[in-house]
Amino acid sequence: MAKASKYLRNFCIIAHIDHGKSTIADRIMELTGQVSKRDMEEQLLDSMDIERERGITIKLTPVRMFYTALDGNEYELNLIDTPGHVDFTYEVSRSLAACEGALVVVDATQGVEAQTLANVYLALENNLEIVPVINKIDLPSARIEETKAEIEDVIGLDAAEAPCVSAKEGTNIRDILEAVVKCVPPPEGDTDDPLRALIFDSYYDNYKGVILFVRIRDGKVKVGDRIKAFLSERTYDVTEVGAFSPRLQPKNELAAGEVGYIAASIKSIEDVEVGDTVTFADRPAAAPLPGYKKVQPVVFCGIYPLDGSKFNDLKDAILKLKLNDAALTFEPDNSVALGFGFRCGFLGLLHMEIVQERIEREFGLDIITTAPSVSYLVHKTDGEVFHVDNPSHLPPAAEIEFMEEPIVRAEVYTPPEYVGAIMELCQDKRGVYKNMTYLDARRVRLDYLLPLNEIVYDFFDELKSRTKGYASFDYELAGYQRSKLVKLDILLNGEACDALSTIVHEDHAYKRGRMLAENLKDAIPRQLFEIPIQAAVGGKIIARETVKAVRKDVLAKCYGGDITRKKKLLEKQKEGKKRMRQVGTVEVPSEVFMEILKTNKDRK
Amino acid sequence: MAGIYLHIPFCKQKCRYCDFVSFAGKEDVAEAYMACLLKEIELRGKELSGRTFDTVYFGGGTPSVVDPKYIYAAMRQIKKCFRLSARPEVTIEVNPGTVSEQKIAMYKRAGINRFSVGLQTAIDAQLADLGRVHTVRDYLYCASLLRGENFSADVMIGIKGQTRDDLQKTIEVAVGSGAKHISMYALQPEDGTPVYTDYLNGELPDDDEVAALYDFGRELLARKGYARYEVSNFCKKGCESRHNLNYWRRGEYVGLGVAASSFFAGRRLLNTTDLDEYMKCTLSGFFPVIDSEEVSVQEAKFEFVMLGLRTVYGVSGRRYKEQFGSDWTEDFAAAYKRTRQYLETQDDVTRIRDEYLFVQNKILSEYAP
Repeated sequence: MAKASKYLRNFCIIAHIDHGKSTIADRIMELTGQVSKRDMEEQLLDSMDIERERGITIKLTPVRMFYTALDGNEYELNLIDTPGHVDFTYEVSRSLAACEGALVVVDATQGVEAQTLANVYLALENNLEIVPVINKIDLPSARIEETKAEIEDVIGLDAAEAPCVSAKEGTNIRDILEAVVKCVPPPEGDTDDPLRALIFDSYYDNYKGVILFVRIRDGKVKVGDRIKAFLSERTYDVTEVGAFSPRLQPKNELAAGEVGYIAASIKSIEDVEVGDTVTFADRPAAAPLPGYKKVQPVVFCGIYPLDGSKFNDLKDAILKLKLNDAALTFEPDNSVALGFGFRCGFLGLLHMEIVQERIEREFGLDIITTAPSVSYLVHKTDGEVFHVDNPSHLPPAAEIEFMEEPIVRAEVYTPPEYVGAIMELCQDKRGVYKNMTYLDARRVRLDYLLPLNEIVYDFFDELKSRTKGYASFDYELAGYQRSKLVKLDILLNGEACDALSTIVHEDHAYKRGRMLAENLKDAIPRQLFEIPIQAAVGGKIIARETVKAVRKDVLAKCYGGDITRKKKLLEKQKEGKKRMRQVGTVEVPSEVFMEILKTNKDRK
Repeated sequence: MAGIYLHIPFCKQKCRYCDFVSFAGKEDVAEAYMACLLKEIELRGKELSGRTFDTVYFGGGTPSVVDPKYIYAAMRQIKKCFRLSARPEVTIEVNPGTVSEQKIAMYKRAGINRFSVGLQTAIDAQLADLGRVHTVRDYLYCASLLRGENFSADVMIGIKGQTRDDLQKTIEVAVGSGAKHISMYALQPEDGTPVYTDYLNGELPDDDEVAALYDFGRELLARKGYARYEVSNFCKKGCESRHNLNYWRRGEYVGLGVAASSFFAGRRLLNTTDLDEYMKCTLSGFFPVIDSEEVSVQEAKFEFVMLGLRTVYGVSGRRYKEQFGSDWTEDFAAAYKRTRQYLETQDDVTRIRDEYLFVQNKILSEYAP
C-alpha cells in the first residue's frame, strides 16, 4: 500500500470580505518564492478584472507552493483561495471538499463576522482542521486579545497559538505556514487504488478544451490515461496533467492527495460536471466520491441581447460562464417585448450582478436584464402546487388559491446610531423583528425575518443610504411563508408589457405601481401620440401617468448644404430606433427595462 | 430647371446663433475673394454649359456687407457663363444694418429682383441679445427702400425670453412693411455657438413652448393671408421662393463660393470651408471641391420623400414613378404603413397632415435607409 506523501498539505482560507484573505494568499506566495515580489500583481489569485476592481474573490483559485519548514523538511502546500461573500458559499463548500485544513482569517479590528462563522461551520462539517489567523495587527485600532477571546467564545476554537499577522506589511507570515505544517494533517488515500479524483472546478480554455480542477483522492493519473466521468459516463484521453503555480504548470502525474488539473480535450462544457468524480475508463473505482449538494438559485432575472440578432452569442456566453459557475442556472425564455433570451437563476444579488457584468465585459455583449425576482410557490385552486419565478408565467388570479414567498433570516450589523433607521426600513419592507444584540459599544446586531422579494428589490441600496454605508448585512434562506401577493402589470397605451410585470405584496402594489408609472413617464421618449402609462393589479388600474405627444421635432432649415447633413441626421435617428423595443404601438428604449425597476433614489 | 447659389462669407459681426461659414472683420479679403468667385463661375459655367438655370441666390454670410459692385460683377459673370431662363428669379440676402439706397439701386441694376431681409424679431433687446447688428428701425428703413419689390422677411422663434406678444409684434412689423414672403424659423442652438450656452443653461424656450409659438405664428400668418408652403416658409399667393422650391423638388443646383454645396449629375459636392484654400484652388484653375459623393438610387428615393414631405405639395406618386420607375408606397412599404395615419393623400399627392408638419422628423426618420 502506497500512502500519499506525508509532506503534502492542502488548505484553504476562509475570511469575511475585506478581512485580508487575498492579501494573505499573496504574502504566502511571496514568502515561498512562488512569485517574486517584482512580478507580483496586487492580489494575484483574483485574476478576473471584476475581482480586482471590486476587491472580492468570486472564483476559487488553487496554487501549489514549496516550503521548507523549521523542522528542516520541504513541504508541498496547495492553497485554494475561496470567495468570502454569502452568495458564493457554494464555491466555498467545493474548495473545502478538496482540503484537509482551513485558515480562518479574522480582522483584529472587526472581530468575527457572521459569514466567517457560517463558513467555519461548513469547514467543520467537512472534517477540516481549523487554524485561526488574526490579521491587520498593524492597525492602531487592532484589538488582538479581544479578538482571540472572541474566536474562543464565538467559534469555540483555541486561539492562544493563533498567528498574529499583518498581511499588508508582511509581518509574521511564516507563523502561518508553520501552523499549516503543524496543524493540518497530510492527505489520506492510496496511490495504488483505482483513480478517484473530485472535480471541484473547471473552466474552458480555447486550446486545451475544458480544464478540470481536481483533488486526487485515490490512485494517480498521467498523460495518456483513459479517464471516465462517473455521472456522464463519457470517456476521454488525458492530454495534460499539472499543478497550479498559480498558472497551469504541467507535471508527469498527479497522485493521491494532490491538487491539480487535468486536460483531456473535453469539447463541450456541459459534458463534465463540477462535483463529479473522475476515474479510469478500463479500471473504474467501485463508487464515486460524495458530490456536492445541488444549490438552488434564489434570485432570478431575464437576460436578453440588446440586439435581438445576438441571441446565439448570448447563448454561447452563458454556456461558457456556466462552465466555471456551477451555481448559475438558465433556461431559454421568450418575451413579447424583449424577444428571445434566457431566464437565469442566481445565488443572490451580487452573483447576479457579477454574471451580468461578466457577460458584458468578457464577451462584449450588450444585454437587457429584467427586474430581479424570486421563486414563489403557487397553490392553485385545483390543488396543483408549483414554483413561479417569472411574473409573466403566473396563472390568472382567479386560479390561484394562495401563494407563498421565500423568507430570509437577515442579520444587520450597524453602529448604534442607525438602529432606528434600520428598524424603520425593515418595517417598511415587511420585516419581522427577532432580536437585537449589542456586540460591543460600537456595534449592534439586528435580527429580522424579511421577505426575499423585498431584499432583491431595493433593500440593500436603502440600507446603505440610510446608514451612510455603515451597516452591513447578511442573509440566509429561512423557508417559505404564505403571503398576499399580486401581479403588478404595466400597460403602455393600453397594452400590457410582459417584461415590466412584477410580483409584489398587496400592500405595496399601489405605491410601487405609482412609482413605476412615474419612472416610466420620465424614461419613455415622447412620441407622435399621447401614451397613457397605467399600473394595474388584476385588471384594476391603480396608477396612471401620461407621456405627452411630441410637439417639435423638425429641421427648421433645409437648403442646399443642409440636405446631406439632415439626411444623415434622420438616418441616425432611425438607427437610434434599433435600440428601442416595440411594445404594442409604443417604442421603449432598452435601458428602461433595467433602470425603471431601480428605486426612485436616482430620480431628481 | 436648376438653381445657382453664391456664398458671400463676410459679416460685420457674427450673430450669436450662427454656425455658418462666415467671417467678421475680414472685409479686406472681399476683393480677392470676389475675384476668385468670378473664376469659379467661369470654371463651372464651362462644365455645365448645357443646362438652363432659373434662379440665382446670393446667400451668406451677409451679401449686403460687401461693396455692391462685386455683386454686380458676379451677376454679370453669371450671365456670361451660364444660360439663364427668360425670367430668372434672382435673390439676395440683406442685413437691414448694411443697406443703403445706392446699394439697392445697384442690386436692381445687376438684375436682382428678390430680396430676403433678416428681421428676426421686432424687439430691439432681443436683436441685441442675438448679436444682430441692426435695430427694428433699421429694418423699417430697409423695407422702405424695398417698397414695391418682391421681398421676404426672416422671423425667428425660440429666442430667449420671447413671448407670444413679441412674436405677434414681429409678424405684424414684417407684414406691415410689405414683405410678400415670410420665413419663420425655429432657432436651432448649434454646438459651439454662444447661443448653445444659453441652451445648456436652460434659458431658451423649450420644445413645447417653441411649438406653441410656431402654432400661434402659423395661425396669425394664415389670417394675414400668408399660406404655409413649407414647414418654415409662408407667402402671399404666387410669391413662393422658386430657388428654394427647387431644393425640395430635388432639382439640380450649383453652389459657388466657399463652403457652398452643389447637386448635379447625380452627385452631391461640397466646396472647401477654408477661405485660403478656396482662393488657392480657384486661382490655380481647380474646383475647390473637398467632398463629392454619388447619390445611390436608394438614397435618392429617400431624399425625394424627405424633401417632398417638408412641403405642402408633398410627394407626387406620378413624379416619383417618372424618376425612379417604381411606386413609392411600395419602395417604402414598411415606413408608409407605420406613418400613413399622419399623412393625407389627395389624387396622387401625399403630404404630412398639417398638425404633424412640425414633428416631421419622427415621420421622416422611418423612411431613412
